Amino acid sequence: MITVRNLQKKYGDLLVLKGINAEIKKGEIISVIGPSGTGKSTFLRCLNLLEIPDEGEILIDGISLLEKGVNVPAIRQKTGMVFQSFNLYAHLTVLDNLTLGPVILQKKKPAEAKAKALELLKLVGLAEKSDSFPHELSGGQQQRVAIARCLAMDPEIMLFDEPTSALDPTMVSEVLAVIRRLAKEGMTMMIVTHEMDFARSISSRIFYMDEGVLYEEGTPDQIFENPKRARTKAFIQRIRSLQYDIVSPLYDLYRLQGEIARFCEKHAISSKVSNRVQILAEEVLPMQRDHTSILLELSYSEKDETLMLECSGTGSPYNPLECKENDMSVTMLKALCEKVEYFYRDNRNTMMLQVRK
Amino acid sequence: MKISALFLFSLLFLTGCSNEQQSINKLSNLDGGRVFAVAAGTAADQMVLQRFPDAKLIYFNNVLHCALAVKEGKADATAYDLPVLVNIAAKIDGLRVLDELIMKDQYGFAVRKDDTALKEIMDQVLSDIQSDGTYEAMSARWFPKAGTPGPMPDIPENGSGGELAFGTAAVTEPMSFVGENQQVIGFDIEFATRIAAKAGKKLNIVNMEFGAMLPALISGKVDMIGAGLSITEERAKSVLFSEPYYRGGLAVIVKGQENTVAHKPFFRSIGNSVRDNLIVEERYKLVLDGLLVTIIITVLAALLGTILGGGVCFLNMSHNKMSRKIAEIYIGFFRGTPVLVLLLIIYYVVFASVTVTPVFVAIIAFGLNFAAYVSEIYRTAIESVNRGQWEAGKAGGFTNVQTFRHIILPQAIRHALPVYKGEFISMMKATSVVGYIAVQDITRVSDIIRSRTFDAFFPLLLAAAIYLVLAWLLTRLLNKVEISVVPERKRLQK
Repeated sequence: MITVRNLQKKYGDLLVLKGINAEIKKGEIISVIGPSGTGKSTFLRCLNLLEIPDEGEILIDGISLLEKGVNVPAIRQKTGMVFQSFNLYAHLTVLDNLTLGPVILQKKKPAEAKAKALELLKLVGLAEKSDSFPHELSGGQQQRVAIARCLAMDPEIMLFDEPTSALDPTMVSEVLAVIRRLAKEGMTMMIVTHEMDFARSISSRIFYMDEGVLYEEGTPDQIFENPKRARTKAFIQRIRSLQYDIVSPLYDLYRLQGEIARFCEKHAISSKVSNRVQILAEEVLPMQRDHTSILLELSYSEKDETLMLECSGTGSPYNPLECKENDMSVTMLKALCEKVEYFYRDNRNTMMLQVRK
Repeated sequence: MKISALFLFSLLFLTGCSNEQQSINKLSNLDGGRVFAVAAGTAADQMVLQRFPDAKLIYFNNVLHCALAVKEGKADATAYDLPVLVNIAAKIDGLRVLDELIMKDQYGFAVRKDDTALKEIMDQVLSDIQSDGTYEAMSARWFPKAGTPGPMPDIPENGSGGELAFGTAAVTEPMSFVGENQQVIGFDIEFATRIAAKAGKKLNIVNMEFGAMLPALISGKVDMIGAGLSITEERAKSVLFSEPYYRGGLAVIVKGQENTVAHKPFFRSIGNSVRDNLIVEERYKLVLDGLLVTIIITVLAALLGTILGGGVCFLNMSHNKMSRKIAEIYIGFFRGTPVLVLLLIIYYVVFASVTVTPVFVAIIAFGLNFAAYVSEIYRTAIESVNRGQWEAGKAGGFTNVQTFRHIILPQAIRHALPVYKGEFISMMKATSVVGYIAVQDITRVSDIIRSRTFDAFFPLLLAAAIYLVLAWLLTRLLNKVEISVVPERKRLQK
């Protein structure tokens, strides 16, 4: 359905996309994942020419998008797009948001367009909001309207540009549920997302993007369980764990604790344990002698449900667990953890803690 | 204006003038530090100081205020052109014009330097009326010892030779002023009519600001000018004067014997004011005409500016560097030039050789100016619409034009209207300067009435009140439009 060859895009002198090759077939659900700033959104936005590529080719059903004289608006009508910031038409009611395109672009009768719009609003669970204005809806509701607005145009493919990134955590699931439903109905979709569990469960294929190229692709199991290439492995490893670098004694403890709380929430770890980890982090950091390069890593294993906190710092070998001035802290660590270990590896003093459940 | 206002204010602290009621019969009686009321913006103050170096001057906005100050005892004398003072003295009780003049001068009509044919006709008519007794009849008619000058006699006109455009400032009673039936009449007008009759042409009176007469003549807007116009060497360098038809000069008015005891207050009663300024000679018609002119100029200029402003905004927001530069220059030029100067440039320079009505010129000038301001209002309104709205429209399959028309514009209008409303009303008020190019709008009409009734306050307050009501009505009208673009309104109607 869509073939992309050697797609390149520059912003000024910065080459964001360095030649992407990809093939998307009808009915496929593709999630695009990868670190921030690697061109995931840019790639997506090139597919409906919201960004104009500098090099390469995009073929939709064999027709090149970048040739002169191509009717771009007509192609966009068949390519629905859902934005991170919803972008509902602010001056129109929910219903009018859905009917504007069909009435003006597809020349549908207003009554017909309205009937279909109401049906779609039912599908996304917002029929009773048809007379509301966008600013009266929550973010999750707005995003569901935005999805319905795309559907009103009968698109052949839908592009999702981080559809849940601007949402409160409580609203993420309602939007994901709607996307899941579309997936079930066989809609061709391409989704840029940071929701890894979602990507894994819904996708037929995963594109891992890094360094401006399509670095590795495969089924969800291949990418999440057996990534082949180094950067993919590192990325998958990283999303399972929280890493925090400290480069000076003036570190921001509250921010660190906030990130710990968020990590625990994401992995459905109880708030009791979450608090425990936050206290541990507060205790364990001052025990290091050299604060110019401390790495704190929190990792969670879904298999045996163990939560490990590792704190390592540079410097000559020194065991903080056996140092007199740390007595109080060590007692505390032992109370909060199943296991407390120290070892010296790669010139780093490392403490390994298994957090008590 | 500011300086004269300052003097008016300082007047409050003046103790007034010498109160001894010794009769003043000649100029030498005024020696020795007497108080002179003079009109600001005229040359009278310099001439008074030449003759009376010790004189104390107080300034007023016009000669009428000066005369009233003399009557009220706030000044000992005021100096102004002889026929004007004679006319004031004839109408207002208790004032007297001294026979002796501070300085003599003479009035003449002027034509363009190369128009010797018309000058010959002017001089021929002058010598004719002086020899056949018509001149005495005219003097009796227009310079009466008491009462109102006039009426205008019927002079048979013969328009076969075309039109003679006569520029005059109809605020110089009795030489040229607006009389009954809103006709411009006066000594000068009768003289001009006789000249036109002699030339076999139809007289077309163009009523303008005094200061605009010379430029209008030189640029060819009119063929002949006159309104108590003094013959001076300086003016003679650029125009051709007729032989002097009136010998007068800078005269002095002093307090005379009052016939009535009744003391007319500075502010006259409202009833009298309404009668004098509106009912007498059906002057309300003049006001209505002025109102219509103001409305026409405002509405058409706004229409022109609104459309043109859209064009300028389009250029300004285009990707083409050249168009943006053009828009930038346009906005910079029209926002940086006073609209009055623009008005004069368009009238005297751009349309110098083309005959257009001054109202048309006013519409163009204010339209061009308005466009510069509203184009910026549009731009900020459009830019204030979230970028995501453009993206959503385009990604949804709308062309750029459709996106703008259906998604951006309705939102931009909401942002633009509150500012647009203010700009509209300030433009309406700014039209009060159109009198400079001989358009009779409300402000100009109030000037004309003021020059006839010697009532300085009522016509101005009336003009202010009319502008206020107009502004209020416009605001209400635009508020209605504003409400109609609020999206939530639709639901309220359901």
